[in-house]
Amino acid sequence: MAPLETPDRLSVTFGALADPTRRAILARLAESDASVNELAALVPAISLQAVSKHLQVLERAGLVTRGRVSRQRPAHLRAEPIAEATAWLAHYRRFYEESLDRLGEHLSRLQGS
Amino acid sequence: MVEIEFARTYAAPRQLVWDAWTDPDQIAQWWGPRGVTTPRESIELDLRPGGRIRFDMVDDATGARYPNSGTVLEVDPPSRLVYADDGFPDGTGKGTATVTFTAVDERTTTLRVRIVADFDETVRAGAEQGWGSQLEKLAEHLAAA
Repeated sequence: MAPLETPDRLSVTFGALADPTRRAILARLAESDASVNELAALVPAISLQAVSKHLQVLERAGLVTRGRVSRQRPAHLRAEPIAEATAWLAHYRRFYEESLDRLGEHLSRLQGS
Repeated sequence: MVEIEFARTYAAPRQLVWDAWTDPDQIAQWWGPRGVTTPRESIELDLRPGGRIRFDMVDDATGARYPNSGTVLEVDPPSRLVYADDGFPDGTGKGTATVTFTAVDERTTTLRVRIVADFDETVRAGAEQGWGSQLEKLAEHLAAA
């Protein structure tokens, strides 16, 4: 029951992940770094400006960093905030799964089986 | 807002499952993950709308005590209980739990726990589209990469 990440930080992560285009971008970046042009190819008829905007949201959430050297500034995935968000969900899930297992054992004991 | 749902079917009559969930003497015997104890004397449950819920959870390994509190929102024995959870002291875990007890037959009960964890409004729209499972898939993908 160690305290996990603060909800404010998690809200930013979850907020950034709440958009399907941004999730598609993250899934692509999980394979390798990519430029705005490459990312725009993921979604039919999306503008480069729209991709840049999504990248800004992901950058603010700490989910993506942008290269400074190359002119194309390839985007790079930072997995830590995702790990924190999934840890939070796993923590919650474990709490209930194990409680409900124990409830089942308790009910068996009550009925003497 | 994050939504998580759990369902279990128990070989026990519905009233028995309801009692196990709402009687402090019984709650003390099962509530919490393994390795955590909920001491009977810490449990207060005023089972009516607006009634307060209080209990401590103790980490068996360290003895660390985690106070919990909440408010009963709806009570409809033995089929439905809704309560708001004030969350953990660090501010996580705040949300609403809806617990339903469905009699499959006289000796079998399906329990469903639906947790809606509160986050800010910006999260709501996307969360309702069920990003939770996709998030996990993404994490699995990352772990495999």
